[in-house]
Amino acid sequence: MHMADALLSPQVGVGMYAASVAAIAVATAKIKKDDFGESKVPLMAVSGAMVFAAQMINFTIPGTGSSGHIGGGILLAALLGPFAGLLALSAVLVIQCLVFADGGLLALGCNIFNMGVIPCLFIYPLLFRPILSPSPTAKRIWIGSTAGVVAALQLGAFGVVAETTASGVAALPFSAFVVLMQPIHLAIGVIEGIVTAAILNFVYAARPSILTSAAYGSGAPVLRGHAPDRGRAKSPKTVIIVFACIAVILGAAMSLFASANPDGLEWSMERVAGTTELETGESTVFSIVSGVQDRTAILPDYDFAKGDGTGTSAAGLIGAILVFAIAGAAGLVIRVYKKRRRKNIDAI
Amino acid sequence: MLSNRVHDLYVLESLSDGDTVVHRLHPQVKLIATLAFIITIVSFNRYDVLGAVPYFIYPILILSLAELPAGMLHRRFLIALPFCSFAAVTNLILLRETAFVFGGIAFSWGFLSMLAILLRTYLCVMAVFILIATTPFPALTRELRRLHAPKILITLIEMIYRYIGVLIDEAGSMAIAYKLRSVKSKGIAMKDMGSFVGQLAIRSFDRGERIYAAMACRGYGRDIPDTGRTRMAAADIVCMILFCTAFVLLRFFPVLHML
Repeated sequence: MHMADALLSPQVGVGMYAASVAAIAVATAKIKKDDFGESKVPLMAVSGAMVFAAQMINFTIPGTGSSGHIGGGILLAALLGPFAGLLALSAVLVIQCLVFADGGLLALGCNIFNMGVIPCLFIYPLLFRPILSPSPTAKRIWIGSTAGVVAALQLGAFGVVAETTASGVAALPFSAFVVLMQPIHLAIGVIEGIVTAAILNFVYAARPSILTSAAYGSGAPVLRGHAPDRGRAKSPKTVIIVFACIAVILGAAMSLFASANPDGLEWSMERVAGTTELETGESTVFSIVSGVQDRTAILPDYDFAKGDGTGTSAAGLIGAILVFAIAGAAGLVIRVYKKRRRKNIDAI
Repeated sequence: MLSNRVHDLYVLESLSDGDTVVHRLHPQVKLIATLAFIITIVSFNRYDVLGAVPYFIYPILILSLAELPAGMLHRRFLIALPFCSFAAVTNLILLRETAFVFGGIAFSWGFLSMLAILLRTYLCVMAVFILIATTPFPALTRELRRLHAPKILITLIEMIYRYIGVLIDEAGSMAIAYKLRSVKSKGIAMKDMGSFVGQLAIRSFDRGERIYAAMACRGYGRDIPDTGRTRMAAADIVCMILFCTAFVLLRFFPVLHML
């Protein structure tokens, strides 16, 4: 779900940066205000690193033969509280961007928003916490985590679609893109939600103090042991919000059925998208991409009537080749020169 | 498998230890040049292939000047491809109207935009790789601090970056223990993920508490003195101005369009 720079316009990129920076500023302020905030920083760091490590563990999904990995937004929010969770997740995304080129530098704002702000600051307080209150039980953790992760991924996927469409680099129409992304992320969300629930239940059963101590840190107390949470039972507002989230999920489910019988083009695109998202092996991606390329002719019908532009394009092509040739030659000269100089130094 | 990931994680940074013209540049110059590079490239029209071509001079020259292993960086570039190639291919399928005819063959707008997306992806990813491979991580976070990024976030980035290796090792030894006790398993079964990551989470929390205690003993909480290169040399400033004006000029006067 990481967005890349190449599909982004500068306006959208900068705009989303502003949104994410604002959210991070709020989270930082909240944590600073908290007496225990500073002492939580190492805990946040290790938890962030834990999610990073856990993302690298592929687990097998029964009955499909494919593998998945966890995303971690709701998990971090539940373990650390929403604000600390957002900061840890943002740091993870920054590192992924810098070291693995997982999502671009300009797209960082979008990615922090889609994968950090949405689960931590929207889904967590509006859906996850209401489901778990007044006090967590195994069943509530199951329902809350699954629903939370599914909703977070649905909104996040929608964010990807909206930001990509607004940028106008990809030509895929908004509706087709939505129909493509939402069902895929519904499937991913259900699986990730179940795994997140299992993790949180394990932690809660083995060491409830970890989850209850999130209560005393910054952000809202989530899993506050068995202390009844009187004040915020079910206000009409939360009910409306929960229903809105359910509507989002239902919409995604409907679009799943709507696309059960798509035409050939949509079907092939769905296959491409589905596999690029679920499997990370480069070879499979490439074989599928080239398969699609074979199936669809690269070159459209000949059109000799519009013969204009041949001259300029030939000049452009030659210019491009020249750029590569000159830059490549310069690079080569630099390398050879450096090698020779190093040899001379060694000889001395 | 997981140990490979640890290697992947730190190998780029290990390159930043070098001592070349590019490595010696002030980190802020590289940071700003990288941002200017990406923003100017991304601001091109979506069919503009020729406009982006001159920008290849930057990665090609810097790769040589900084003596970076081109093969390794290009292999890493492949990781970033899937999502972009998906968009590139859908553009190819959807935009089928002829853009121009060349040598008797008609090329569609989709073909142009596919090329443009792939070129952009390559350039943006390479720019970030070059930044990381020529700038030590602590120097980078120090610059971010000076640019007044939230302190907590920067501390988190530094600490997470250091602890990922530790926790991947931990997860790796747990995965080996799991494999030794299970028959014919390729990965971890989904039903065991809860206890596996849950266990990892508990261990991480314990570790986090120990780290905090250790840090508190060593005076954590006071401001860390900002040691390191502060001022930019004249050459650094000249370089920064050169890079930025070159990128902006190439954006507004695309050389290859004028041919």
